[in-house]
This record gives sequence, structure tokens and C-alpha cells, in this order.
Amino acid sequence: MISLLSTLAPLLCGGLLAATGAGKLFGRQVARQAAGTVLVRLLGDGRRAARALRCVGAAELAVAAGLLAAPRAVASCGAAAVLGAGFLGYLGYAKATAPRSSCGCTAGEEGPIGWRSFTRAALVVAAGLAAPAADGTWWSAPAGRPVASAVLVLLAAAVLVVLFGGVDRLWLLPLRRARLRVFGHPLGGPAAGAPVAASVELLERSLAWQAASAVVRSGLLDHWDEDGWRILRYAGVHEGGQGARPVNVLFALDLAATVDNTPRPAVRVTVVDDATDEVVQVPLPTAAPRTLLPLAEPA
Amino acid sequence: MNTGHQHGRSGDRRGFDRRRFLTRAALGGATVVGASALGGLDAEAAFAEPMPSLDPAIARSTFAEGRISRVNGSVLEVKGSYGEQHLVQLTNATSVWKLRPTTADAIKPGDGLYARGVDMPDGTIAADAVWVNIVNILCTIRGIAKDRLHLSHGRHAVVGHLHAAHTTASYLGGAQTADLSRLRIGQSAQILGAWRPEDDGIDVARVTAGH
Repeated sequence: MISLLSTLAPLLCGGLLAATGAGKLFGRQVARQAAGTVLVRLLGDGRRAARALRCVGAAELAVAAGLLAAPRAVASCGAAAVLGAGFLGYLGYAKATAPRSSCGCTAGEEGPIGWRSFTRAALVVAAGLAAPAADGTWWSAPAGRPVASAVLVLLAAAVLVVLFGGVDRLWLLPLRRARLRVFGHPLGGPAAGAPVAASVELLERSLAWQAASAVVRSGLLDHWDEDGWRILRYAGVHEGGQGARPVNVLFALDLAATVDNTPRPAVRVTVVDDATDEVVQVPLPTAAPRTLLPLAEPA
Repeated sequence: MNTGHQHGRSGDRRGFDRRRFLTRAALGGATVVGASALGGLDAEAAFAEPMPSLDPAIARSTFAEGRISRVNGSVLEVKGSYGEQHLVQLTNATSVWKLRPTTADAIKPGDGLYARGVDMPDGTIAADAVWVNIVNILCTIRGIAKDRLHLSHGRHAVVGHLHAAHTTASYLGGAQTADLSRLRIGQSAQILGAWRPEDDGIDVARVTAGH
């Protein structure tokens, strides 16, 4: 199996390099691809980075051609190993100095450098080192062991597909969907009680909120539940007769009420002086709620 | 160590008594019944279009955004996205949002910030509300696990961390619920949450799924 793998390594590595090299050399979005890489900082500007990326693409294509045409030649295997080692060095440097930069390795990837990039580069090195040890050329291997060769090529192709982030949707999403179907949804179903966010949402759509809006200044400061009530505390400023003074604005709502089950929420509103803890009588202008316009009836 | 413990307990007790007092006050308040069409001041409001407000206090508000370069006591030094500098003064009436309502202790240098407040004569902004690391992005759900959602935003993969006590979902415009079991792979979802500077993920506060 190992000898078969080293015999087929030039084919697989050549295929990988041909795909990524062609993407870099002929890709339309190489400039955009280059813009996210550490090359921009190394070379000074984006245009030079794009040119460098295209040169790397040309080199990859040349090595791929060498590997495919002369799989056992020391020159092509050595070039692949050196290219792979160069990639590893570049990736290590980029990861260390600019962890957020993208690698620019393939057209489909824009995210930060991850394990996929390192694995691809390591595989190129491994293929370059393994190829000279092969028993024969990759095109003669299927003649001797056709089934094993086909299985190995398919397996290797699957590994390469996994190593390309851009084609995730082809295999990863169906796999994850199938896992959800088999093992069930991992996230819990309906929980008892309404979350605080639902109470805040209800409050902010209530007439009480509108009435108190002249006083409230802060976002939600604190909340707690007691005796079936949910208390929401906000900070505000009350401009009364003695000038402006800081106050707490307290809203009390039914613990279970949400916008789904309570179209007209009843909210208790209290304004408490922050310094003296006295309840401040604030007139709450409860303007009439907007009347709903009649909906058009379908004919 | 012991003293600290005692301190903490008496602090809790004071907080507990204060809450009981405020609860009694809150339940004695006037009841206002009805729904309105006005928006709120919650996390989402950080992204709202500026609009004329009925409230003169809001009209006087100023807004600051940027990255926190230094936390100096209760003053945050904020470097704005356009090179400007803000000094944001926190008070005990300032609400702090970082995935959930929290306190100023949760704010760290390097965090992003949106703040609403009032300009002070000394050039600082006295903050009424700050939202730390808040992000609100349209994503596609690419994977669902027990404690995280795998999301893609444009061509970027983003990990959304779920928190049982704080993550809610809203389906088809319904009320927010802790029930996340109706999320599906492939679905578009608006994700409101707190960005995590340490790993570039998002702590998810709310998933709004349209279908």
C-alpha cells in the first residue's frame, strides 16, 4: 500500500498543484485574493503582491507539469518538496506575524490561515519526498493493481476536497444535515418561562415605555424576578421643579408575558429618586395608542 | 481573604435588600396598558437610523464608537474608526451591555464599543449606555452543535457561541424564546451578539430567523 501511495503521489500532488496554480495564475480575483495576505506588507503594495501570487501560481503549474511528466526525476520531486517547504515557511511566518491575514493559497479561501493550509503544504512536501522511492510511474501502477489504485485515488481525492474550504457546501453541509437527522437536533426545545430579552422586547413595544421615554436614559441596568413579576430597572433623569435629578425607572411585567401572548401588555411604572429613594410622581402622558387601520379583505 | 468574603456577603445583602425595596416600589406604580409602535433603546438601537425622537433628552445625546485603547478607572479611552478620540465616562447610572446587561468590570482594553451619552464641558462623554463588542450581521447557518453555531458571513466562516442563559431566537417575527431547536442548516439568520476579540467568534445574544 505504501509503495502504491508513493507511486501515485506525483499524480495526486501534481493534480493539487495544477488546481491551485491555475487558480492563482489565471484567476480573475487574484488581486482581491492578494490584498488579504501578508504579501502586501512584505512587498509594499497590492499590485506587487498580486504579481507575486501569479508567479507562485506559475511555479506551481511548472512543478505540477514536472511531477506528472517525469514523476521519478529528482529535479521534479525535489522542486515539489522545496515548494512545499517554502509554503510551510510562508504560512508559519504569516501566522506568526499577521494571524488574521488570509493565506492566498486557493481562490475559494479568504479566512485566516488554518489547519487546511498547513496540511496541504505538508502533503506537498511529503509527496515530493516520497515520489523518488516509487517502484514505477503513476501511469503504470493501475495496470498491476487496478482496484487498489482506483480506491486510493478516490480516497486521496476525498481528502483533497476536505482540504479545500471553498467546496464545503458540497460535502460538509449534507453531512451535518444527515447527522442532525440521525442524532436529532442538539439544541434544547421550549424552556419554561420567557427569557429576559422577551420581556424587554415586550416592554419596548408597550405604551408604558412610550410614556416613560422622556425619563429613561440608560439601557437595561438590572433585572430580577419576584412573585411572578419581572422587574426591569433603568436609569433616567427627571426634570422636575428642583432641576434635573437622577432616578431609577422601574417596570414590572408579568413574568410569562411576551409579544406573542400579550398584545396589550399591562406594565407598572415607578420612578424612584436615586439619592433619596423617594417615589417621584411623574406624569405619564399615555397618548392614545395608534388605532389600527382596517386590513383589506381578500376578494 | 476572609474580609473579602465578608465584604462580598454584606454587598450581596445590601443588593438583596435594595431589590426588595425596589420591588415593593415597582409593584406600587401606576399601570399603563397597551402597545406602542415606538422602538427601544436596547442593543438593537445601537444600529438604528438616527430619527427625530419625541424625547428632548435623546435629541441631546451624542454617540461614540471605536476600540477601547485604555481603561482608566471609570473613563474609557476610545479610538474611533475615523481616527478620532473619545473619553467615555461611566457612572453608576450607565448601562453596560456585553452579551447581557453587565457591569463596567466586564469592559477590557481592545474591546469595541458603541456609547450613547451627553457631551460634558470638559470634552468627555458621560455615557448613558454602552454596548461592548456589539455586532449585528446577516449570516447563513452552516452547522449546529450543542454549544455553537457554525455560520458564514459572506465568504467568512464565523463561530457563534451559544449561552443557555442568554441566547434567544425569534422565528418569523415572533417573540424571543430560549427555544433554539427550530434553527436549520442552510437558513439565513440575523445574528445579534458580542464579538470575541480573543478568537474572532461571536457570543450569540439573538438569532432572528425568517423562516
